[in-house]
Amino acid sequence: MESTRKRLITLLAKKKDEYISGQKLSDELNISRAAIWKQMKSLENEGYQIEAVSRKGYRIVRFPERMSVNTIQWNLKTDWLGQNMHFEEQVDSTQTVAHQLAREGAEHGTVIVADEQLKGRGRLHRPWHSQKGSGIWMSIILRPDIEPHRAPQLTLASAVAITKMLKFLTGVQPKIKWPNDIFVGDRKLAGILTEMQAEQDLIEYVIIGIGLNVNLDQKAVPDDLQDVATSIQLETGKAWKREELIQELLYQMESIYELFLQQGFSSIKQAWEQDAYRLGETITVKARRKEWEATLIGIHEDGALIVEDENQSKSVLYSAEIDWKKGE
Amino acid sequence: MLKVQEIRELIKLIDESSIDEFKYESDGTKVNLKKQVGGGQVVQSVVERNDAVVQEKPAPKVANEEEKPQPKTTPEEKSEEEKSVSADYDKEITSPMVGTFYRSPAPDKDPYVQVGDNVKADSVVCIVEAMKLFNEIEAEVNGEIVEILVEDGELVEYGQPLFRVKSK
Repeated sequence: MESTRKRLITLLAKKKDEYISGQKLSDELNISRAAIWKQMKSLENEGYQIEAVSRKGYRIVRFPERMSVNTIQWNLKTDWLGQNMHFEEQVDSTQTVAHQLAREGAEHGTVIVADEQLKGRGRLHRPWHSQKGSGIWMSIILRPDIEPHRAPQLTLASAVAITKMLKFLTGVQPKIKWPNDIFVGDRKLAGILTEMQAEQDLIEYVIIGIGLNVNLDQKAVPDDLQDVATSIQLETGKAWKREELIQELLYQMESIYELFLQQGFSSIKQAWEQDAYRLGETITVKARRKEWEATLIGIHEDGALIVEDENQSKSVLYSAEIDWKKGE
Repeated sequence: MLKVQEIRELIKLIDESSIDEFKYESDGTKVNLKKQVGGGQVVQSVVERNDAVVQEKPAPKVANEEEKPQPKTTPEEKSEEEKSVSADYDKEITSPMVGTFYRSPAPDKDPYVQVGDNVKADSVVCIVEAMKLFNEIEAEVNGEIVEILVEDGELVEYGQPLFRVKSK
């Protein structure tokens, strides 16, 4: 049912301004004309505007504002990523849904997209503001055959995919703040939350959660986030179709993921460092027992952060809080 | 400095060999392994090493001790040692990666487990975070938590024991 509908939309979308006869659709999809008519009605319910002219056929006049699995998938160019997709109007968190689906055996590459999250979260359950229709709130289930300690590199790979998509489609010049945030200037545009279920030597699944602010205007940004958050709309001065961004993002993710599996993280390192936030600048490192100022040098072959203190002594950091505030 | 893998290898080799006692010293690191004759058990073994994940320096010298209460020794020989000393536990849950150990899902939440709690193989017992990836660690064994070896927020190394479990 799902795929028939997807093929129907593809057929209609291909011939944008022309009509396609009910007979032709019926032949192509191998369903009755009555079934075609039913499909059209259900597409209308989803927000498509369909024009039916007798003796000419059907055409799509307007695509829905509302996102759905169909609108996200119809122009999706991936081989596997997002080919199994779930769309929810409203969820607590796409991460929670993804965990549940993964535990139930959801396949590698399954994607969960929500229009609105009530309890969108960052790490340590910090809330992520995810207002209805204003952003990309998405989780991706992966089942990579790699050692668990390499999984954090997937966060960095995802960051590279997001920056590629942004540069290619929107012209926004993003920076990657190690390890999991995307910044424009000194404001956060997107965050990545990677979670994993693994045994000692085996990954059961990895969930990559992405929160990306798209169509938030100044009024829509909560007061406490005015100075720290931004959106694509705020950066470009116009609203964006989320589906197009998701399609490009998944396409970039899929190719970077395959590169990562075939050639390892070092193949992504350069692209990552090219857009690294505050590279070569001074930051403050806060480890458990000490705190020191250091220069951000780059990342290690395995994605860990490399910093250098005033005595030219280098440290490789896997887990530390970085104070990014600019020094006085 | 010896790697965990190397120590693990050593214990295995000595365990299978006819050697009763083995001493090794290099760069301030001392390893002393001793078996009970005939029993094939390691009764003493101490390696002290720097516990920092961020930076590593050669550790100062060490004396032999009957038992070290701190969870700083490397995992394998510690467990071997403990096995022969007490029967309080028979399984250790170890860290699959370098990172920060968290006992609860969020700072204001209760810890996943306490000493005395019964866990199932799929119970989440802690989180190890590396590069902001939060890895929920499962017990992988049915039993009772008898000891928590690491403090909340502490850096842990690959293979480091986190919990001791008495399996059921």
